[in-house]
Amino acid sequence: MVNSLQDVDGYVVTDADFRGIFEHLVEGIYRTAVDGRFLLANPALAAIYGYASPAELIATLTKIDEQLYVDADRRGEFIRLMEEHDCVWSFESAIYRKDRSIIWISENVRGIRNSAGQIVYYEGTVQDITERKRAEEELRRAKEAAEELSRAKSQFLANMSHELRTPLNAVIGYSELMMEEAHDADIHLFDKDLQTVRGAGQQLLELINDVLDLARIESGKTELFLEQFDIATMLNDVEATLLPLVRNNRNHFGIRIDPNVGCIHADLTKVRQSLFNLVSNACKFTEDGQVDLSVYRETRNGVATGYIVFQIKDTGVGMTPYQMERVFEPFVQADSSMTRKYGGTGLGLAITREFCRMMGGDVTVESELGKGSTFQMRIPLDVSVPPIVVEEPSPIELEPEIPAGSQVVLLIDDDESVHPVVERLLEKEGLEMVSAFNGRDGLELARKIHPLLMILDVIMPGMDGWAVLSKVKEDPVLRDIPIAMLTMVDDRELAFSLGVSDYMVKPINRVRFRAMLKRLLISDDTGYILIVEDNDQTRHMLKITLEQAGWTVAEAYSAHSAIEHLKHHSPQLIISDLMMPGMDGFQFTTQLQNHLEWKEIPVLVLTAKEITDEDRRALPPNVKQILQKGSYGREELIREIRAHIHDHEIPHLTPSPH
Amino acid sequence: MSPHRILLVEDNDTNREMLQRRLTRNGFQVLEALDGRQAIDMMLSDPPDLVLMDMSIPVLDGWAATQQIKADARISHIPVIALTAHAMVGEREKALACGCDDYDIKPVELERLLGKMKHLLKR
Repeated sequence: MVNSLQDVDGYVVTDADFRGIFEHLVEGIYRTAVDGRFLLANPALAAIYGYASPAELIATLTKIDEQLYVDADRRGEFIRLMEEHDCVWSFESAIYRKDRSIIWISENVRGIRNSAGQIVYYEGTVQDITERKRAEEELRRAKEAAEELSRAKSQFLANMSHELRTPLNAVIGYSELMMEEAHDADIHLFDKDLQTVRGAGQQLLELINDVLDLARIESGKTELFLEQFDIATMLNDVEATLLPLVRNNRNHFGIRIDPNVGCIHADLTKVRQSLFNLVSNACKFTEDGQVDLSVYRETRNGVATGYIVFQIKDTGVGMTPYQMERVFEPFVQADSSMTRKYGGTGLGLAITREFCRMMGGDVTVESELGKGSTFQMRIPLDVSVPPIVVEEPSPIELEPEIPAGSQVVLLIDDDESVHPVVERLLEKEGLEMVSAFNGRDGLELARKIHPLLMILDVIMPGMDGWAVLSKVKEDPVLRDIPIAMLTMVDDRELAFSLGVSDYMVKPINRVRFRAMLKRLLISDDTGYILIVEDNDQTRHMLKITLEQAGWTVAEAYSAHSAIEHLKHHSPQLIISDLMMPGMDGFQFTTQLQNHLEWKEIPVLVLTAKEITDEDRRALPPNVKQILQKGSYGREELIREIRAHIHDHEIPHLTPSPH
Repeated sequence: MSPHRILLVEDNDTNREMLQRRLTRNGFQVLEALDGRQAIDMMLSDPPDLVLMDMSIPVLDGWAATQQIKADARISHIPVIALTAHAMVGEREKALACGCDDYDIKPVELERLLGKMKHLLKR
């Protein structure tokens, strides 16, 4: 069998060569029987297992499962793997050597089968990996210890900061009190000293706040509190706080705000603190110079990226490339001589970077020694919806290619920043978006691509949203496309009266948006059910039950909103509560019964009220069934719905334009 | 016009005395309580116009005390400003959730606190 083997030079390999390899290889080689005996072993294996010779090993180790493996189940695992795969690689186990000391080995083994397909023995190699295992274990322990230490450090810092604040409260408070009382008594002898005490206390407090912030970040205890706020208003606050700092070094401070920055949805405190850090930093390292803050919406190749940029440019001392690299590291100022000259903890920039990153943004710096530095902070316009990373280069597609039969939604909005946000939301629902930035282009695109849905901004230059809407409704080809209005102004009644299918006020609420898509894009062959219920919890529970059963569900929290919904949609079945504020279930179902288009929709009443015969008589015939809350099961409910949807199968009505 | 009566709930003697003196200077009449239980008792027997409540106080802490105050129709109308030294994230929301009318952090910045007090006393 081996006779035919030749090496590259044509040398015929002999059995003696194989024997030599077997005898002298540093890896252990073995053949074992299925019952756990060794049939063959080389000297290296004997050495690894601690035996004087292969013969001793074979004679002594007769029950591998009991004698060798530390873990009694290890042999079983080995056999299972062999049966399944015929071989194992890097099978790592702890084993007992002859002297009962424990080492780690790694085995590569294959199983040899007989003609009947049964494994008759195993052949494998063994490596002693004890050293590697030990190193790994040490690494793991060191890592755990380091993590534990880091946690302990953060906890300690947090506790200490708190403990330090309490006496500081007294230092600052009493020095202020003494200044006030001295002023009242017209004593001015201590004014300067008291100022110094107070100033030192204040400085210490800021330092502690920084340490606390960083400790909190490191221990993962920092949370974002997102809110919508006006950027210009926030900048006014920051400017007021900063003015004394600006004056200290006789600097000029300029703020330039792009008029359309508007609002941002982010953590106000963290944005403000980050800005404060960056500007006070610039003021600290600039004397008799200029510090400029400019704020604008970022664009790339003319397309809004969905980020707001805060740029802080100073004419100060600047930094070397080496200093620039380290400037955001905690506890590091550009170099230690700076600490002596400029003071401070060196934590401000590290905290700023952490805050920015938490919000999905970042902060970067460009600087030249002696010329000044420019810090740039980028924060997403809506931190809860991370902006899409715009690949470079990304030319705007003027003629979007629309795959046939695709799920396309047309967004018409002049505000570029809205487009990536909506696109992201649509993507999540498996929909594609086509953009238009004014009404005219929007209409043209709509005629070309016939979208599944149009999302329309109200206020646009030129042709506004209302004008687009009326054009769409006049056009026999477009009039059936559902339209959702998206806007800053709440003018819902006008919108619905003009045939709008849904209405949303900016900023876009993701949950509302998704619900809108679900409702408007129900395909023709699936039925949907309208739930009318004022109790949020009950409505939610019911919705989940129905959705699990495969229905699409629309919700109304009152009879009035249900009626509003019905003006534009046609559910296949309505489940209604009886006791609701405003219009109750009796009035609601009666109104349905009296309406030509709605009386065919079957209604199931779901109520906690004890139903009297009088109640039953008061309910109109479109009420098909009354279910007592708590007394029906999930299956009964689903059976009832199926029965009535089936009985009253009505052709699906597309949202009818009025 | 008689001065506004402020109930200051604070267990730390130094801080309580300091704040008491500063508020008095600013024209308030300051009543003092050392814990939440005492604060509620004082509110019931002699209602103040506003409560400044340190949140980490003994017997009944500020969170529990405020909840009791806001659940008691006799005193629930009295505004409560929470004061905490932690300035931890979420403390503001927590304070507002348990019924506090406003929230400030220690060390107190007097001008800011006076602003918040005046705003609540005007209501």
